[in-house]
Amino acid sequence: MVRPDAASPSGLVLDRVRKEFPGGVVAVRDISLTVEPGELLVLVGPSGCGKTTTLRMVAGLEAVTAGEVRIAGRLVTGLPPRHRNVAMVFQNYALYAHMTVRANIGFGLKMAGMPKREIRTRVNHAADILGITELLDRKPRQLSGGQRQRVAMGRAIVREPAAFLMDEPLSNLDAKLRVEMRAEITNVHRRIGAPTLYVTHDQTEAMTMGDRVAILRQGALEQIGTPLELYERPVNVFVAGFIGSPAMNLLPATLDSSGDAWYASVGGSRVLIPTKARAALQPFAGHDILLGLRPEDFVSTEDLREGAHGVIQATAARAESLGSELLVYLTINSDATTLPLTVRLDRRAAVQQGAPTRIGVDLQRLYFFDPKTGAAIR
Amino acid sequence: MTRCPAAQLLRVVVITGIGLWSLAPIGLGVATSLSTQADVQAVPARWLPGHAMLDAYRSLLGGTGDFRAGGTVSESGAFAHAMWNSASVTLMSTLAILCVAISAGYAFARLRFPGRGALFWAIVATTVVPVFTVVIALFGLMADMHLIDRTLGLVLVFVSTTTPLAMWLVCNHVKELPTEPEEAALIDGCTRWQAFWHVVLPQMRSGIAALSAIVMLSVWGEFLIPLLLTSTSASKPVTVLIPEYVGKYTTNYPLLAAAGVLALLPPAVVALVLNRHIRGMLSGSS
Repeated sequence: MVRPDAASPSGLVLDRVRKEFPGGVVAVRDISLTVEPGELLVLVGPSGCGKTTTLRMVAGLEAVTAGEVRIAGRLVTGLPPRHRNVAMVFQNYALYAHMTVRANIGFGLKMAGMPKREIRTRVNHAADILGITELLDRKPRQLSGGQRQRVAMGRAIVREPAAFLMDEPLSNLDAKLRVEMRAEITNVHRRIGAPTLYVTHDQTEAMTMGDRVAILRQGALEQIGTPLELYERPVNVFVAGFIGSPAMNLLPATLDSSGDAWYASVGGSRVLIPTKARAALQPFAGHDILLGLRPEDFVSTEDLREGAHGVIQATAARAESLGSELLVYLTINSDATTLPLTVRLDRRAAVQQGAPTRIGVDLQRLYFFDPKTGAAIR
Repeated sequence: MTRCPAAQLLRVVVITGIGLWSLAPIGLGVATSLSTQADVQAVPARWLPGHAMLDAYRSLLGGTGDFRAGGTVSESGAFAHAMWNSASVTLMSTLAILCVAISAGYAFARLRFPGRGALFWAIVATTVVPVFTVVIALFGLMADMHLIDRTLGLVLVFVSTTTPLAMWLVCNHVKELPTEPEEAALIDGCTRWQAFWHVVLPQMRSGIAALSAIVMLSVWGEFLIPLLLTSTSASKPVTVLIPEYVGKYTTNYPLLAAAGVLALLPPAVVALVLNRHIRGMLSGSS
């Protein structure tokens, strides 16, 4: 994690920011993070994890209980929103319904006392970037969801702020438009280059848009890193389960050894543990662990190669073809209980529902977690 | 959903009945105002005038003597002056009530300050105090302030009696408005006041129109307070003047009815023009 004090002075810095609401509810627990200039950092987490509150504290819409917020090297913690030089795109666009698109985009400039001619030039330029020039004289109610979203973006970029804040800006759009706007926001962001803090609950959005992603849970920062880092090296069970779709399978397993080989026993199956993982797993020898297996790291019986893949015996309960791939929901019968297992296989894989199946998992792609603390073992 | 024809019929009958019940007195008033005194006193009763005449309106606006008025004296210009008093008191009161209620309602809906809840309910609680329980004290107070028989006195009383309810309505209305446009304005460089002025007020346009109508109708129809606080044509509104046309021994009914019809016109226009907004606010969707 980038320490605030090591950060570039022109970025957006949160230093041990805390938010307590009356009644003692702690919404944000001492979060520290830095968004570098030109970086798009995504705050992601389940509902109520404090991501929007964090964003609102940066905007100045919520007071900070403790900690500091710095934007472009300037301490803004106690300043009202208008003195922070940030722009924000809201989930429901928050357009001014009584104003035309042109007035909406130019409103911030007008408030700043900019001459009309310059406002016109800058609004036209922003509209040009977003492809909404022909909509400038319309009212928001005459626009589609995607067009409104572009206007909201226009209103943000026209001011050339020191930082951009985006609060789930795509969640009101349909799936197709969301994909389009994802690319568009990324493009606009690259073009503008200001540090951007982007809040979403959608991990796909986080993974595809973020230069880095910060995962929040119950007001605390769980992990921050590039999308690949989070996917490959989750620090705990929460991050492992949150990133990836379908979610990582987390199976209770017992760590045991036989001669020189170490195994994680799940149900009746034994998965060989690679040598490189053994050092970290040493304290757990003979004990329970959580074995993490990503659905995409499985292969069907036909593709199974001894040595490269561990074998798990399971029964296919249901299969869903997505066209490009096959999602199979299996059950592993262990002594006491039945464990669900989701795997993503090649679309041509032959899976017989209801019949016992041998399924292979890539031995280089095993994740281990402490069942008590949930922390990754590595 | 299919409706039973009998229920439909019942509905029509009930609505027609209510409509007739409400509109019949007005229709009768209009008919009477166009009749002569002889038409009104004819036995058996004539519900419609033999010949529609505007004499009553002329007498009302131009003034009458004893003879023509059938015992009712209408001083020339007195009615027009009372209409003017009613209109000016209504407009001034409405303006003042809107200013106070909108700012206070917004503040209670959006701002966080100590004692907010207690203060809000203390103000709203005053709406349950019936005016007649405070009239004596009110009269004394207004007399001390030399505000008897002055339109300003009426305006002040109406502002203080009507604002709490208006503020309550505004507060609920503002709570229903989305906060994001306002927050966007704050981020866009507005002070709280500028955000209120440029973004919140335009959003409230419909609600304000409805509130104006409700307040205007209520102030225009006030009777008890003006009766108490006015004594001459300097401030007497039309609601207090009209009953004076009822004579001790005889009454010029066409004149009385014409006064009623004219007094009805301004609120009717307000209600018709702002009808859509009133329905919106009362159903919580404006």
